[in-house]
Amino acid sequence: MAEQRVPRALATAAAAKIPKMARANLSATVRAKDEGKKVAYSFIVVGQDEIMRAMDIVPAWGESFSGISAAKRDAEKYLQRAEADNFSRSLCTYATCNIGFDMWREELGGAMPPDAPWGGIGRPDMILGTAQQLCDPRYKWPQATRHYLRDVPVFIGGMYYPAWDPKIDHKTQEEYYVKYNTAELHRCVEFCEKHTGKKMDWDRLASVVDLTDRTWNLFVETYELRKTIPCPMDTGDAMNTMVPMAFMLGTQESYDFFLALNAELKEKIAAKQGVVENEKYRLLWGAGLPSWFALSDFQYFNDKGAVFPVETTYRCYEPVYNLDLPKTSDPLEHIAWRWVRFWTHWYDKARKRPGSTPAVERLIDYIEDYKCNGVVFHSAFSCRSWHAGILLQAEILKKVYPEIPVLIMEGDIVDISSYNEADTHNRIDAFIETLEAYKQKQR
Amino acid sequence: MSVTNGNGLAKAKEYCSEYGLRAKELKAEGRQIIGYLTAIAPVEILTAAGVVPFRLKGWVSEPITKADAHMETIVCPFVRNVFDSALKGKYSFLDGMAMPHLCDSIDRTNDVWSYNLDLPYWHFLNIPHVTDDPSIEFTKSVLRSFITSLEGFTGRKITDQAIVEAVKQHNENRSLMRDLYSLRKENPPLISGVEMMEVMVAAMSLPVDESSALIKSVIEEVKRREPPAGKKAPRIMIVGGQIDNVAVAEVIENANAWLVMDDITMGSKAYWPTTDITPDPLQGIAERYLRKVRVATTYIDTGDTYEENLEARFGHMKRYINEFKVDGVILFVYKYCDPYGFDVPAMKSFIEETGTPVLYLEDEYSTSSLSRVKTRVEAFLEMIA
Repeated sequence: MAEQRVPRALATAAAAKIPKMARANLSATVRAKDEGKKVAYSFIVVGQDEIMRAMDIVPAWGESFSGISAAKRDAEKYLQRAEADNFSRSLCTYATCNIGFDMWREELGGAMPPDAPWGGIGRPDMILGTAQQLCDPRYKWPQATRHYLRDVPVFIGGMYYPAWDPKIDHKTQEEYYVKYNTAELHRCVEFCEKHTGKKMDWDRLASVVDLTDRTWNLFVETYELRKTIPCPMDTGDAMNTMVPMAFMLGTQESYDFFLALNAELKEKIAAKQGVVENEKYRLLWGAGLPSWFALSDFQYFNDKGAVFPVETTYRCYEPVYNLDLPKTSDPLEHIAWRWVRFWTHWYDKARKRPGSTPAVERLIDYIEDYKCNGVVFHSAFSCRSWHAGILLQAEILKKVYPEIPVLIMEGDIVDISSYNEADTHNRIDAFIETLEAYKQKQR
Repeated sequence: MSVTNGNGLAKAKEYCSEYGLRAKELKAEGRQIIGYLTAIAPVEILTAAGVVPFRLKGWVSEPITKADAHMETIVCPFVRNVFDSALKGKYSFLDGMAMPHLCDSIDRTNDVWSYNLDLPYWHFLNIPHVTDDPSIEFTKSVLRSFITSLEGFTGRKITDQAIVEAVKQHNENRSLMRDLYSLRKENPPLISGVEMMEVMVAAMSLPVDESSALIKSVIEEVKRREPPAGKKAPRIMIVGGQIDNVAVAEVIENANAWLVMDDITMGSKAYWPTTDITPDPLQGIAERYLRKVRVATTYIDTGDTYEENLEARFGHMKRYINEFKVDGVILFVYKYCDPYGFDVPAMKSFIEETGTPVLYLEDEYSTSSLSRVKTRVEAFLEMIA
């Protein structure tokens, strides 16, 4: 029998502001037309957000809408509509949730479906996607959406980084990757110019790019405050505080949010105030998007004295001063360099440890920097992009690094039918016992 | 290889059922065998390098017993099955692999493959999904890196001339296979879907010259046949990714229908597009794999309207339906396949608008679910009869 659902407690005041911000993002897409603005269905971590911000295009994040629907445990009605038109339940549920919503709205002649979470998401004037950064749905989802929104133009641009190969120096390949990504971002600008009727203000774009650089820096500097013992903020909060980074990058509001979070964490550190009162275990959220309908599981960990000071999920940023980006007068080329260098900046380190991989080096960095004594992964059945390869990470970590307890949880991001709360809590309980035994052994 | 006129079909059946037989022989003769996955691996370059390109398949009748310890069950069941087969030693003759970026299931497991198989040679190719000019230029750079890496492995230079020769060989191979396909246009077809599947599977396991010799032999053998008498049956086209076994073809043909055409990645998707011979041979290769090979991961938006895009994406199926007099289409899509899965509603309605009924089946890459497939196929055939 499922335990009674307990809302997750928030450790930071900053995280408590997030629902309002996420709701405002959605509302902006709904009222955009009245304000004479264009709305674009968009994807996070693809390098196009700065272009949209510089052109006053309102991004409508399908991933956010589906995540919110899931968190409110209200996604099933959309998933079922998509399924009824032959979208398999095994496909990305961010996509099928959103497509189901779009199908319903089209059936209603463009009116908002009833009881849409937080007022719903606005109908787009265009769709911007990428192939391949980061997954197949980033171009298949727009293509499938257009089957229902036939008048909405779609742009898909290529975006790649050199694949990890221990025998190849990726720096010999960087240049043609950056050249390609830059060309594709220029195509994106041309598309946006065509469909907004406005020309890009390149100076404004340069300012947005500079603000984004500073936000990347501030974000990581702020998150690094979580190295402190006791930890002042954990992954449960980070799954909220990702919103200004993932969905509001290139805005002053995003930067200011992390300024406030930074100050708040410093206050907590000064007061020796941690997420849990008696911090026993420090865990790395090693990979995987969370089950948005079960964020209270982080609270469950907290209740057992476990805290997550660091996570790989939604930490797709690094201070740009660590990336040694070549100088360029083209802001789009800067964006291209930033992403290529971000995805490859663990490669050199991985080459130095035989048998390791960049993903594992990243885990090791975090384990050591944040003094973690366990790693938790989450495998979501409907998303291959983030969740295939987790077993390998765990396998290699075990081989190249001293023993550390690892838990791999299974579920989904949106589809609650995959979730069993009692089972999940049992597995967490067993993991906590393993952690305790591990700690005893370490003493 | 002992393909002489008259025994092509038997040889194809043998190579299909003992998959990798000829590669093992070639390996024993000192040839280097490079495995690859999918229809977008640039086989011309492998041939030009003097290695044997060998396309990997799985064993649908074998349960996955080793792969699950290393690869998530949310990965495409085809990829898992092939990986499982490799772990079980079925591809122990491989010297290496060329892994093109087709989809998340391959991209995200590339490390899983390379780490666990630990072959002497491994190369991942970031083949883009979009098809514009910058993507062509990028692909040429990716191909140049591939050539450099292969040259390092084999110790032999890959010249432009060798690539051009390889392009001609593979184009001839594709042309021969299309000739064989045309014998399916007869009613009843001169070659069954099951036999055709055996030829296609065998062909992808052989060096290109031997593959062409096999197909020629089959063509001659089939042309000499008397048309099958009496059996008037619905003519079916199958659509999907890598369907590389006779199981589904047998289900269809045992249910009193003919499998006369396909739009699958080891079938017409691979054999219809040819490679142009261009001053820079990599230009023609890049254009083939990006713009001509129409897999679900090829993003096509060349039309001004959605309807024109649909025509550009799926119009070839209409032509197949007309040319091969298709009465019904089966969309056979593997579970956990985002690229094909997201295409289903658009593809299904596009085909149905031609007046041709469609059966959509989502399935595992396994004969364990075959009875369910059989029931659905039989009901579909009854409906269109």
